[in-house]
Amino acid sequence: MTILLSGGAKNGKSALAQQLTCSLAGIGPRYYAATMIPRDEEDFARIARHQKEREGLGFTTILCGKSIFHSIINKKYNGSFLFDSVTALLANAMFPGSEPDWAAPKRVEAELLALADWAQHTVFVSDAIYCDTGRYDWLTQAYRQSLAQIDRALAARCDCVAELCAGQVVVYKGALPV
Amino acid sequence: MDLVIGGAFQGKTQWAIHQFGLTEGDIFVCGETGNPDFSHRCITHLENYALACLHLGEPPEAAIFAWQNQWATAVLICDDISCGVVPLSAQERAWREGCGRMLSALAQQADTVTRIFCGLPQRLK
Repeated sequence: MTILLSGGAKNGKSALAQQLTCSLAGIGPRYYAATMIPRDEEDFARIARHQKEREGLGFTTILCGKSIFHSIINKKYNGSFLFDSVTALLANAMFPGSEPDWAAPKRVEAELLALADWAQHTVFVSDAIYCDTGRYDWLTQAYRQSLAQIDRALAARCDCVAELCAGQVVVYKGALPV
Repeated sequence: MDLVIGGAFQGKTQWAIHQFGLTEGDIFVCGETGNPDFSHRCITHLENYALACLHLGEPPEAAIFAWQNQWATAVLICDDISCGVVPLSAQERAWREGCGRMLSALAQQADTVTRIFCGLPQRLK
């Protein structure tokens, strides 16, 4: 089964995604695809907090900051994946250095869809960053547009799509397994 | 009138084309100046029209009703710009508030209101 969860920050996406992944995995292997490439103390603290939240749930962490093929598919890992988050993966891929990688959005989309096809179960987490008044610079707009395109491609592919708001679930497609 | 709202880049126009059997020629895209051409069946980016009204010192929630006879059977599409931090600029604050009031007024008149999220519809009315 494939699930896409999106919504605003700190609305309960990751917690629900963990619960769903564990439920889908049953007694099988479960993987946490970690997308953040830590750059400072704040990032390390965030990673430590997330690791603590996953303690005891049986996740194996796969560092997946840049390429899903390299980190997961080529290494033949399979089972249930929690992919958190599409937002971070795209940022890593699109802004690797001083120059944006304009081929990244299509590549990331193809990799995520390949993961959906490859894995037994996948729960994707993304972020809804589309409803503010701010008029962004063109680079930020290109990033928002690219993330939206990937979200829509995933939503079309996934069996279930839901938005989290204050911990409440709004289902747009399919039904959640728990 | 059918009202379609949602965040930027969510696939609102594409959904409306499919849902209402529109063609590209049916669609008018609002700019930040001037009035919508309501001879088209579908008007998109109404948030830009709200800004055009504010440039002229007119509240968009009132100005749009001057065209009510013409949009009574239209498909109206607007970006939701209501979330995020309160903008620093007074013009953007007025824009956000005017757009919100305009959408609330339009939604009251609408036969259907649909919110698009990741290309998927949620019927609000």
